[in-house]
Amino acid sequence: MSTIVFDPSALPALAEQKPQTPWGRRTSRFRIAVVLAVVIPAIVVAALFAFSEIPGAVIMVAIYFPLQILAAVAAAIAVRGTKAAGDSVIIVSAIGATIFSGVVLVSLLWSIITKGLQAMSVAFIFQNNEYISPSTPLGYGGIGHAILGTILIVAISALIAVPLGVMTALYITEVRGRAVPYVRFFVQAMSGVPSVVAGLFILTVLILSGALNNSAFAAGLAYAILMLPTVARTAEEVLKLVPDDLRTGALALGSTRARVALRVVVPAAKTGIITAAILGIARVVGETAPLLLTALKNDKTVLNPFSDPISALPTYIFTNVAQPYPDAVLRAWGAALALMVLVAVLFTVTRVLSAKRPGQ
Amino acid sequence: MSDVEAPVLRDLQSAATSHRGDRIFNRTIAAAAFTALIVLAGITVFLGAQAIPVLQEQGLSFLTTSVWNPPDYGIWGMLYGSVLLAAIALVIAVPVSLLLSVFMVFLAPRPVAAVLTNLVDLMAAIPSVIIGLWAFYVLAPVSEGWQQLMNQYLGWIPIFANNSGNFSGTPFTAGFVLAIMMIPIVTSVTREVLGRTPPELINASEALGCSLWTMLRYVALPYGRGGLVGGVMLGLGRALGETIAVFFVLKIVFDPVNYYNIIESGGGSVATLIVSKFGEASGPYETQLLLAAGFFLNMMTLIVNVIANLIVNRTGRLQS
Repeated sequence: MSTIVFDPSALPALAEQKPQTPWGRRTSRFRIAVVLAVVIPAIVVAALFAFSEIPGAVIMVAIYFPLQILAAVAAAIAVRGTKAAGDSVIIVSAIGATIFSGVVLVSLLWSIITKGLQAMSVAFIFQNNEYISPSTPLGYGGIGHAILGTILIVAISALIAVPLGVMTALYITEVRGRAVPYVRFFVQAMSGVPSVVAGLFILTVLILSGALNNSAFAAGLAYAILMLPTVARTAEEVLKLVPDDLRTGALALGSTRARVALRVVVPAAKTGIITAAILGIARVVGETAPLLLTALKNDKTVLNPFSDPISALPTYIFTNVAQPYPDAVLRAWGAALALMVLVAVLFTVTRVLSAKRPGQ
Repeated sequence: MSDVEAPVLRDLQSAATSHRGDRIFNRTIAAAAFTALIVLAGITVFLGAQAIPVLQEQGLSFLTTSVWNPPDYGIWGMLYGSVLLAAIALVIAVPVSLLLSVFMVFLAPRPVAAVLTNLVDLMAAIPSVIIGLWAFYVLAPVSEGWQQLMNQYLGWIPIFANNSGNFSGTPFTAGFVLAIMMIPIVTSVTREVLGRTPPELINASEALGCSLWTMLRYVALPYGRGGLVGGVMLGLGRALGETIAVFFVLKIVFDPVNYYNIIESGGGSVATLIVSKFGEASGPYETQLLLAAGFFLNMMTLIVNVIANLIVNRTGRLQS
């Protein structure tokens, strides 16, 4: 006769039973208290909005928020005792902070989309601004030259910053020289360089000295300064995710270190490196201050990256904000929508790419 | 990657450096890795070289007076203004970011937290010129109303005094815009720091009967203190260097320096000064003054940023 061992899997009902958490149980008393704590302040505030002269901002900040916290504290004390009062304050404030941030984000996106769409048309996307003055109606002229300018400047900066950034990351993960902590430190310090300072640096070293014109190339160099740290840090993260087995395996087969890095590690982290490049591009694509100092602006379409001043989307927005003509302002919103779509596309691509793990 | 494996690879590397191709590879990569250092040194040296003649001509009054009238120039008001704006932004952004990350880490169901993380990152990706555009046309008019109300109800507190009746271009609005730009940066760090609180500490505090408030107060906040301070300082570095968003909502005033009347029209910001004066610079000397101002702005943000990174690194590696 075998010993009887308690086996929960033999009892289907027991096996399927979820763990009990008596402290988390929602009693009806709890539910009623929460509903009351949410509904009563809302009714009071709705009444104030409807029947009193108090300004809305004052109602929300000076009446609704304190009232909601008081109601939550009262509900917490009624159901769980005085110790729960602190919790209810935190929960209400945390939800409040989340709603605040959400309202800001929605307001931003809503105004970009609604006002931007008013300016959008095929002509707006493809035409340049050559014969356009701020008072010209919306049907004429557009951001074609600025889109080309942004693409040109960002491409130049990516061509410079992405290889350098990936090489910096390779130094940290593959070469692993003695200077690793210093390299990492300087990359971090570089990520704090204000964008206006990057523009001033290129201005003083290359433009005022006469080495370069105000051009797309100068702007691309300024962008590269801002892009490099982002690329280097992201590439470092993804190179670290490449399993060491791949490295040791390749070394054991007789590869040199250089081949391991270039033929094994970098291809294994390919999507990650593309993500790093896109993150770098997304970091700089909306920067305005360096462009104002290095690329200036130009209403014509410019294709030569060395010869002439050039406009990009951020400078186009910048010059059209605060114009006294409503149509010029709508152009700024239209360009903002185009820039935001660009950023959102880059953002989505990085999310999709980084959902895949490198080395698979 | 675990620490155990690293020394093994280091041995392999030392064996392999006898290979000539590898030596060339290592040197090329090492040279590229020092770009960051070269650029940082270049910025300091070249902008510093522009600052020296300015300091020789203007003396220390370039840093201690607030005037932009040929032949006298001084950027004290701008330096102070940058700090004031950053302080206003901190007062708004730090509590919001902390509460937002508490919500994401401890309160929200996992799918909600994942969506919020993406939204916060999206908010961080919005270019500053678009935030400036929005601030000029959407926020500033609303903010003027808020400030009138603040003045009406709280005007007896000195910082909310306003004698001119002009509520546009105030440090408050500019600081509020900076706060909006800081919130996603600070939140992404604080969320990660709070998320790293060891679960066994949280479980232990719950088993001892701690409430959420007690757990935060005695476990999560002390445990992540370094990272939280570092995250806030990273946001501060961004706020000090931000140019364009502030440009649209702040009226640059040199004299008198607006020390504490945050809802009085007029303030200062070094970064914004550079952009607003660059277009109308009357000659090489005024450009040189702006380059010198850029040097001091860079020093200010570099110091804040280095301290922030040292603090964050000490508490474990994080992405900023």
